[in-house]
Amino acid sequence: MVNTQTTPHGRLKQSPFLPDMAEIVRKERLNPTETLYVLRLTDGAELGHAPGQFVEVSVFGVGEAPFSISSSPTRGGEFELCIRRVGDVTTAMERLGIGAKLGVRGPLGRGFPLDVMRGNDVLIIAGGLGIVPLRSLIGTVIDERADFAEVTILYGCKSPAEMLFKDEIAAWEAREDIDFRVTTDIADPSWKGNVGPVTTLFRRLTVNPKTTVPVMVGPPVMFKHVVKQVLAVGIPEDRIILSLERRMKCGIGECGHCQINGVYVCQDGPVFTYAELKRLEEAML
Amino acid sequence: MKFLAQDKLQAFLGHLAGESRVVAPVKGDDGVVLFRPWSPGTEVELDVLLPKQSAKEFVLRQSETYLRYGYAMEGEAAAQVDDSHEAKVVLDDPAERKAAQDTAVTAHAALVVEPVNDAPAQVIFGLRPCDARGFVQMDNVFGGYGGFYFDPYYNAKREATTLVAVTCRDPRSTCFCTSVQGGPASTEGADVLFTQVEGGFAVEALTDKGETLLASAEFVDAAQAQVLYAETVKETAEARVDAAFDLEGIQEHLRANIEDPGWHDLAMRCISCGTCTYVCPNCYCFNITDEMVEGRGERIRTWDNCFNPSYTLETSGHNPRDTKSNRFRNRFSHKFWYYPEKYDSLLCSGCGRCITHCPTRIDIREVLSVMGSERTAVPATTGEEA
Repeated sequence: MVNTQTTPHGRLKQSPFLPDMAEIVRKERLNPTETLYVLRLTDGAELGHAPGQFVEVSVFGVGEAPFSISSSPTRGGEFELCIRRVGDVTTAMERLGIGAKLGVRGPLGRGFPLDVMRGNDVLIIAGGLGIVPLRSLIGTVIDERADFAEVTILYGCKSPAEMLFKDEIAAWEAREDIDFRVTTDIADPSWKGNVGPVTTLFRRLTVNPKTTVPVMVGPPVMFKHVVKQVLAVGIPEDRIILSLERRMKCGIGECGHCQINGVYVCQDGPVFTYAELKRLEEAML
Repeated sequence: MKFLAQDKLQAFLGHLAGESRVVAPVKGDDGVVLFRPWSPGTEVELDVLLPKQSAKEFVLRQSETYLRYGYAMEGEAAAQVDDSHEAKVVLDDPAERKAAQDTAVTAHAALVVEPVNDAPAQVIFGLRPCDARGFVQMDNVFGGYGGFYFDPYYNAKREATTLVAVTCRDPRSTCFCTSVQGGPASTEGADVLFTQVEGGFAVEALTDKGETLLASAEFVDAAQAQVLYAETVKETAEARVDAAFDLEGIQEHLRANIEDPGWHDLAMRCISCGTCTYVCPNCYCFNITDEMVEGRGERIRTWDNCFNPSYTLETSGHNPRDTKSNRFRNRFSHKFWYYPEKYDSLLCSGCGRCITHCPTRIDIREVLSVMGSERTAVPATTGEEA
């Protein structure tokens, strides 16, 4: 597997526990629990991330937590995090206004293997909040569209109300050069689209197993079913790309929380091939 | 080899204490022997083989502040606070509401962040070879081997530390260093090795740091008889540590037995207290938390414990290691399979503290004898097909 981890910038390498400072440039409430934060490093530097990487965000006095970066590095200076209010740090973040300072360590971890995807068909499969890190990849694929062959995006949510980035989704849907399909587990009266798990979308696709790189982010139950489907059409194990969620503290391969067998998800991942994960007990749980 | 007379030990430690902190096994008023900062006149306790805790604490602190921060309020800061948010409305509890307001206010004040990394020069005197090896094994993680990061806090203390080990004359029944590639006179990780002989210690420097220590005037050249005596002490001690389990093929066996119901049976009486991880000279996992009092805060890292269900619990509620037997399996597999696979080193030096201190008498030697060897009870479904 090609390692797409970017070289940590000097300061992080020197003092990997010391956060850089960032400020909130903009906040946008996407639905009752998710908010999009647009951040900028206060020293004016670019974050320099790759799609699929994450940052550790500090709210000083409350704590630090890992979040995947949701914006594409092709979009320049600012970067975006889409965060569900669920724990201490995320609840504290919601109370912060524009201009508030946060600590940021990163970018951390190994991102999506863009070099494997270039020249090939890209099949992006997002379940629920899995769309958040995949949006970074989608942005890159759109901005460098000519580098990729067929691009298909499948997005499954629990309900239409939980769907994120609705305006952007409309734009993806409108594009001729992307096949975008969305489904919801439970419909509401306004919903005219597909109903059912994301596997129902896959079933209707025709994919070329020789040229397709499936990239999926979602809950473990989605991995279980979708991996089975992509294997069944003959896509090799080392070309199936997944990103794992784990509890992370240090983010730099020390503290132990995200470890699966000999692998640290924070540094060896969070993006892996299925071939890598298959040998790891507990990886797909 | 040098010789230090028993009655010169205090003078030697006194010299060291003039230049750096000295840490040694000392019996407290409660009768408990622990590694404690030593001061002249304090008796060093070498008769009790192992202090209750390893010396890990002096390099990987049980609790360590690495950031201090504070807020200085500026002008209209409070006015900028975002109160458009409906999240505030749900806070019925007055204390919680106050906390929310504090967070919001402080976020707009000027934030001053100050890194902390205290690493005074220190000599740890009187640790046993297993405890010295513990540091070598942790060095892999914190030294950035495996392509990761160099830990500034661990390494600053590690570099400022000189380890003076003492050969175990009288190993305990729970010692199993010889089963994990060590021994009662192992020199791995130590800068100096002391061996108790008649009237004092036979002393050998093992590193440059160690050489420096032995330049002290209290040392004389060891007589041939003392050198021979020290060798006998080492050999006798070595012979007294029982073989506990077979390392040969242990990784493969642990891998093959990963789904074996034996894990469940062995984990039954574990109460997930984590004592084994805290007393272990090799367990290095830590947590990171923020603590704040009246506008001044600290970021702290603290020893953690992989037996705690919340150790792997994600905020979403997903827990990839959600059963006790899987957590139990993780600790032993980490030490004898996952870690060795990654760093080509065990993560256990055989001190046996986990055996001595386990409230339910779980014995790592038994666990590894059972799960680290070929299991005879093969499930019927694996059949004869192959």
